[in-house]
Amino acid sequence: MLDILTSIIIAGLTTGALYALATVGLSLVWGSMGMLNMAHAAMLTLGGYAAFSLSSALGLPAVVGFAGAVLAGAIAGGLLYVFIVRNLLNNDKATFESNVMIATVGIGIALENAILLTFGGQPLKQPISATGSLIIGPVNLPYQNMLIVIVVIALMALVALLLARTRIGRAIRATAQNREAAQLMGVAVNRVYFQVLVLSGALAGVCGVMVSSMTQLSPPLGNDPMLKAFIMCVVAGLGNLPGAVAAAFGLALLEAFVQYAAGARWGFPSLLFVVIAVLIWRPAGLFGRAQIRRM
Amino acid sequence: MTLSEKPPVLSLSNIVSGYRELTVLKGISFDVAAGAFVTVVGPNGHGKSTLLKTISGLVPLKQGSIGINGSPAPGQPHAIAALGVAHVPQGDMLFPEMSVLENLLMGAYLAPSRAEIDRRLDEVYTLLPKLADRRHQIASSLSGGERRMAGIGRGLMMGGEILLIDEPSLGLAPLVIEQVYGVIAELSRSGRTILLVEENPARVADLADHLHLLDDGEIVWSGPPAELLARDELLATYLGG
Repeated sequence: MLDILTSIIIAGLTTGALYALATVGLSLVWGSMGMLNMAHAAMLTLGGYAAFSLSSALGLPAVVGFAGAVLAGAIAGGLLYVFIVRNLLNNDKATFESNVMIATVGIGIALENAILLTFGGQPLKQPISATGSLIIGPVNLPYQNMLIVIVVIALMALVALLLARTRIGRAIRATAQNREAAQLMGVAVNRVYFQVLVLSGALAGVCGVMVSSMTQLSPPLGNDPMLKAFIMCVVAGLGNLPGAVAAAFGLALLEAFVQYAAGARWGFPSLLFVVIAVLIWRPAGLFGRAQIRRM
Repeated sequence: MTLSEKPPVLSLSNIVSGYRELTVLKGISFDVAAGAFVTVVGPNGHGKSTLLKTISGLVPLKQGSIGINGSPAPGQPHAIAALGVAHVPQGDMLFPEMSVLENLLMGAYLAPSRAEIDRRLDEVYTLLPKLADRRHQIASSLSGGERRMAGIGRGLMMGGEILLIDEPSLGLAPLVIEQVYGVIAELSRSGRTILLVEENPARVADLADHLHLLDDGEIVWSGPPAELLARDELLATYLGG
């Protein structure tokens, strides 16, 4: 019984870590910019393929592949700001939220198809992964799962430190809480938006490597984590970062338990059930407050 | 050198501004000398807040020009803040989920060094000791008067030469209004240049050097506060008596 329980918890924590990583990038952008980045899934996929290209196709060390994924995601986020978001912000701010959502749907589809054309549709193996397990009595702890949880916790701690302790982090939080007041304090909000999208893209790149190391690389790789990330965001309250991380781990554990108890096909419906319940009883999310329009 | 002989630190020349198609300010011109206390009074909804927002760059200029220390004002609010214009907006606009200390530190976002931030923090805590007591409290949990003080403190943390203060008495109890104006008087005595907007001219009668009466986006009268208060017909026409 202990080994089954441990397996469920390990599976829940691993998927929770992956969901958390996908959710934080999405939530950060929503919280500070009021922007639902529908291209987040494609940025995640891009990170996975960037690591694959550097490590497998070019034969470079895994650490270079990993750094390449971070860089690819960050560059994609930066380009998204420079070519799309900045221009939409210069137009009518009242329609920014809907316009940017539609625009990023298009960018996401285009990027996914570009990856399909470049790498083909066949699943590929992500070379950056750890093999083997740590065995303690009846408990089997795969190194890959441990690596994912450790990397994600380290990244979450870094993001939390960045937001709480640094000048850039304070500017991001100030812009999220009151954009006009932040501008009056001397914050260049356009630069903040650029930094947020670069950071979110870098996190998506890491997430792409992690997800593909557990499954396989394919062009729609990012769609499932992004769908789950949306669920976590809604359950936690859009833009609430600590809440999103808590929701990611909590719901992933719930999903793992439901999959064991009722069968794998009931995992996703159980998450949807939670979302519907939250939307009915706490529309602002479990940790959220009533949303205000930011733009 | 009298105030009128000092060079203006802020010059407004025929400024026209508003929101999209709506024009609120219809050609405002006046100067504010270094160290002066200038007040703009007028009824609600006639452009007082828009005037300050236009100076600080939150509302774009449609026509005219703004000069700060003799140079044309840049268009972006963060660049105007960097020139030493500190805007204390109406309703405080604090960062609600940050502590009082974090709000004050945001005021010093452009400060050149940690030592300068500490110096400004000491100055603010000396002038507004309650903020020191409340420094770890979340801004959204402050009372109305404390929020107003925090807003002024944050403006002071910017270290700006020119303070734009928007209706500091709005929504406050009479005793708290007195305290807030006491702090503003202290700031004026310390030599800061203040441009303040207010609905009630009597509140600034003893403080302001010069007063402009704003009606429907235009300056309809300018002069010393005592003179306006003696003009019953102006008070009755523009400020409801």
